[in-house]
Amino acid sequence: MPSDPRVAQALAALAQPIAEFRAAVQGALAQADAFLAAQTADAASQAVRAATELGVFGGAHVDAARFAAMFPAVAKADKTSLAALEKAAGILRRVAGQGDEMAVALVTDGVKLGATIDAALAGAGQAFGAIIITELVRGGRFKKAEHEKLLDPAEFRAWNNAERRFAPPLVVEVDGADLHAGALLDFADGREKIVLVVRGNAPPAALVRCITPGTFVLQTVDGTGLDRLAGYEGPAIAALLPEGAATFMHDPNAGKEPWQRLTVPFLPTGPFKAVGGFSAWQMEQDVTMLAELARTPFVVPSAPGGKGAPAIGAGEAVDRIASWLLDTSGLKA
Amino acid sequence: MSASATAAPAPPKVLRVPEHTVEIVSDSGEGAQKCGQIFGAVSAKMGNGVWTVELIPAEIQPPPRVPEGASGNRIRLGEHTVTNWGDRTDLVVAFNEQVLLARHRVDALADNAVLLVEDCWARSEDTDIVAQWNAALKELSGKHYRIIPVAMEDECLTIVDNPKKGKNMYALGLLARIYGRDMELIKAQIAHAFRKKSEEVYKQNVALLELGFHWAEDNIDFRVEIPTHPAETPLVVMNGNEAIGMGAIASGMELCAMYPITPATSVSHYLSEVFEKFGGIVHQAEDEIAAAGVAIGASYSGKVAFTITSGPGLALKTEMLGLAVMTETPLVLVDVQRGGPSTGLPTKVEQSDLLAAIYGQTGDAPHIVMAPATIEECFHVMITARRLAETFRTLVMVLTDANLATGVSPYPKPTLDEQWQAAPLDLAPVRDGQKPYDWNTETGLSERIIPGRSGGMFTLTGLSHDDRSKVAYAADIHQHSSAMRSRKIAVLQSLLKPPTVYGDDKGDLLVVGWGSTKGAIEEAVDRARNEGFKVSALHLRFLSPLEPGLKPIFKKFKKVMTVEINYSDEIGDPYVTEENRRRGQLSILLRNATLVDVDCWGRVPGEPLRPMSILEAIRGRLPRGGAA
Amino acid sequence: MSYTCGLLPVLEQGDDHHYEMSEYEGARARWCPGCGDHSVLTAVQRLLAAEQLIPEQTVFVSGIGCSSRFPHYMKTYGFHGLHGRALPVATGIKLHRPELTVFVAMGDGDCTSIGAAHWIHAMRYNVDMTAMMLDNGIYGLTKNQTSPTTPQGFKSNTQPYGSFLPALNPIAASLGVTNASFVAQTAEWAPSHLYATLRAAYKHKGFSFVRILQRCPVYTPSLFQRAVQDPANITLLVHDDGVVTPDLEKIYQSQTHHDPRDLAAARALAEQSDRINLGVFFKDPSKPRYEETRRVAPRTPVERVALLEKEFARYAV
Repeated sequence: MPSDPRVAQALAALAQPIAEFRAAVQGALAQADAFLAAQTADAASQAVRAATELGVFGGAHVDAARFAAMFPAVAKADKTSLAALEKAAGILRRVAGQGDEMAVALVTDGVKLGATIDAALAGAGQAFGAIIITELVRGGRFKKAEHEKLLDPAEFRAWNNAERRFAPPLVVEVDGADLHAGALLDFADGREKIVLVVRGNAPPAALVRCITPGTFVLQTVDGTGLDRLAGYEGPAIAALLPEGAATFMHDPNAGKEPWQRLTVPFLPTGPFKAVGGFSAWQMEQDVTMLAELARTPFVVPSAPGGKGAPAIGAGEAVDRIASWLLDTSGLKA
Repeated sequence: MSASATAAPAPPKVLRVPEHTVEIVSDSGEGAQKCGQIFGAVSAKMGNGVWTVELIPAEIQPPPRVPEGASGNRIRLGEHTVTNWGDRTDLVVAFNEQVLLARHRVDALADNAVLLVEDCWARSEDTDIVAQWNAALKELSGKHYRIIPVAMEDECLTIVDNPKKGKNMYALGLLARIYGRDMELIKAQIAHAFRKKSEEVYKQNVALLELGFHWAEDNIDFRVEIPTHPAETPLVVMNGNEAIGMGAIASGMELCAMYPITPATSVSHYLSEVFEKFGGIVHQAEDEIAAAGVAIGASYSGKVAFTITSGPGLALKTEMLGLAVMTETPLVLVDVQRGGPSTGLPTKVEQSDLLAAIYGQTGDAPHIVMAPATIEECFHVMITARRLAETFRTLVMVLTDANLATGVSPYPKPTLDEQWQAAPLDLAPVRDGQKPYDWNTETGLSERIIPGRSGGMFTLTGLSHDDRSKVAYAADIHQHSSAMRSRKIAVLQSLLKPPTVYGDDKGDLLVVGWGSTKGAIEEAVDRARNEGFKVSALHLRFLSPLEPGLKPIFKKFKKVMTVEINYSDEIGDPYVTEENRRRGQLSILLRNATLVDVDCWGRVPGEPLRPMSILEAIRGRLPRGGAA
Repeated sequence: MSYTCGLLPVLEQGDDHHYEMSEYEGARARWCPGCGDHSVLTAVQRLLAAEQLIPEQTVFVSGIGCSSRFPHYMKTYGFHGLHGRALPVATGIKLHRPELTVFVAMGDGDCTSIGAAHWIHAMRYNVDMTAMMLDNGIYGLTKNQTSPTTPQGFKSNTQPYGSFLPALNPIAASLGVTNASFVAQTAEWAPSHLYATLRAAYKHKGFSFVRILQRCPVYTPSLFQRAVQDPANITLLVHDDGVVTPDLEKIYQSQTHHDPRDLAAARALAEQSDRINLGVFFKDPSKPRYEETRRVAPRTPVERVALLEKEFARYAV
């Protein structure tokens, strides 16, 4: 079980996508098991199953044996297909059995952040393969030469668009010194959600480098904003950082301009101390970049004539303009 | 004031009876229902058979002290399982004489009933109230009631400032003493009922309970003993609507779409509280039609969904139900029947939607109709309904009624099974050449294909269509597809077991019923047999298709008669003849299916049938010594 | 809710498979020659190809009327239901299977008359789907009866001396519904605008209501004649966040820069009776979506049984 309470916090925020992925895995597993069981079922066992499925009320009034016989038995699959299905079921069972652990990875010494995430998602990629194999075998379309490789672990970069859309979320425990944001960019696709639980000293605004127009990016100290992440349609990266780090939220839904999308409740000021491979200069660069992105232009782009309410997130902009106006007109005390 | 005991009272007389019926009635808002519920629950825990019904005023906030405002519970206790609400009440606790009159006037009270009545009204400063009290007592004097005045308000005021908030617990104390209920169990139940309130509230309620208990100990000269038999298997106690809700969960259904309508809505009240943690939702739609539409949309795309309604809503959903049948989209509909037609009797029981349920859709819309007979069956029927809807790709209607919906009775806790639940969505690719309606031409059955399945991409339509779901233009297509939809019902009938006769399988009269009347009918039949009549009963759960083998069963009786809570003419009524007689709805079905001259006896009293009135009907149809 | 990945169609087609427009074509359309429905069908097929929507994961839902034959002409999943009742069915699909892409095709009588209650409430639910109202101002399938959007005075079989009432304004009505999140108007005779508007509607997360102005070649061929013949009677609402159609700028020189987040301005534009405004009147992706609000974690049979045991404990005697 996770030692850091923030891991549980991150898992709770991701409960919905985790449950959805698990439901897909368990659904396929149930289908695989039922298909395998039906291969060897005789009339008697089918009748027993039918009686159970009909429930107590139905069992009392419906002749379960004739009910079962009324429906065609499951098509018999060949040995190769069944072997593949059994293997697929094994993979699904393993993934299903992991529970929430399925969605947690730990960056250990000597392994980089990117490689850790890759390894963790490879297991999920294998589950996708197993789901497809289940459907293929049940549909009588399994071809060994073509399909068997689907059961191998598959790295994220090998996933297709559909798989990326259904990517399971991941919570990664990482030391601040290993927080190489660049490695995360590879996974900002589909609907992938990654939450980093950062331990010890960390660069204060590392995730600023993950900001792209379509990526939800969050740095938080107390978990604020995590609830928004799970519901976002696209890729999302978040970090739960120790006190002192910058906190910000980049929500692509909040507007077209970076300053509309970005809210920065806390921006630390230096001097910063080097952590691991991160120099103080790099850290300052990150913080400056964050400030630049969040900077509101003085002219609020809106309909010509200035009609209409400012876009979402621009409340702060209005304040800043007001402050600037007061400043320049010499009215500010 | 009541006499306080100065000397030790004589030991109370003990009445040992196999059953007793208790009522507690008050103005709405005085808590009589909570008292009745706790009393019922504790009695069940102690090992009595219990059937509780709510006495519901027709208005939300009736004025105080009027007969129409009578609100409360009626609890029938028995040594053994109690299957219905019985005949008349043996003991009443009433918070004023007007609500008592209400019960008297509907003939709810036994001739020798004991009436414990709040008597503060007799001492009121308001002369009108005193006059009402005197008039009421006079009206009540026509029967042999034993009236015991109780100064509940004065007593309660020693503990609380507002006796309106305390009388119910005091009354519970009276009943606890009279019926020898386990006070520790009652206290636990009070703690549960007030779990959201403070400790102070609990203590006050217990003090009131004990006050009532001691007053009864000192002043009531009798006690009632109904032997208890603690259950060997674990029991659960709930009303039929809660059972429907739990059954839906157990069946693995994930969407209930509904629009508020009495008396069905409480299913959704229950589900709205808990369904989400089971991965399901209750969708309250903009109207009855949309509720059915949302359920059909959900079903079409995946697991079978359900909708719940009552008569007027069933009427509104009609077109949607035809759509489900035509597109062979599985759908479960629960109709909690109430009095009709039109808005009718919204809170009262009736069984008059049977023909509308089976035949109410335009065109030929064959589908399955089932009716649970007990609260326990309300739970289990949902599992069967979901399964049959899926297998037969059609609409399954479940008919319950206000009697089951609001009746509360214990039943054995179901042994849950994962296989009751819907299988995960099947997303295997469709077979080469597979069609959206791949009818087995023998059975009409076909595999359902949901969106997402590779290679499917079919459009289902409510227009007449061929097996590829192409709109029918050729002459023979509609004939064939109609046959395919209809055949499924014949197939299901071929799989049903013949029903079992209650009592001898031959005799002078067979009483046939369906739905919530089972307990009352069988009790009436038992009594009739004790009186020497050769009567048996038959209870049907499947109404469409009808259960098989009815004709051979009927042939062994000289006379067959349905008992139903829907209107039927009686021979002998003005203008009514054999030819124009409008018959009870089940009897119409049975006559059609068997060509047996099935008689009927139907009443629409806005309350469950009493075994006594069924017994009288049996006697009327069957003079002693043989069939009429 | 149920949750599925639907990975197989992608695998079967290959990840690099490019769906051509023709792969979205179902049965041959049986609408009258010259019917505006044909242009909408083409625009929609083009949209699906542009977005590379997976046919197996896409559902078209319709009611009854000429335009409601739409699903039959698409090679996707489809449900052709009852007159006026497409929206509840579509809502049910999306509530149970939020991962599916849902389009709804309705006519004017379908949507604004017999199905009006569903229309209002579907906008309020704001479930993510693209709802197209193909508005030719007449009941065509049943042969020339007045609909709510028939112009006042127009003669039909049910109102042969001229329609009695002023036509209902579907855009103004839509903009009055609380929680409406996307309201647009386009026209069948401006294909690039039609396409751009449907694409913006599809891309909007929420309930996208698109009124498509069109003519029935048989009963209302002269509807919108002023606008069709003289583009000066049409104003394009342009905005980066709405619809921009550079190729139409020469034809439609009347343009209004309209920020679709400005509801008050949208309502004022909707009430303009002297001209036809085409474009996105209103758009607000921040409005809550019902299928997201109601999203629940799926449960396995084992979990469900365990929870139900606890539930029974509450009712134990």
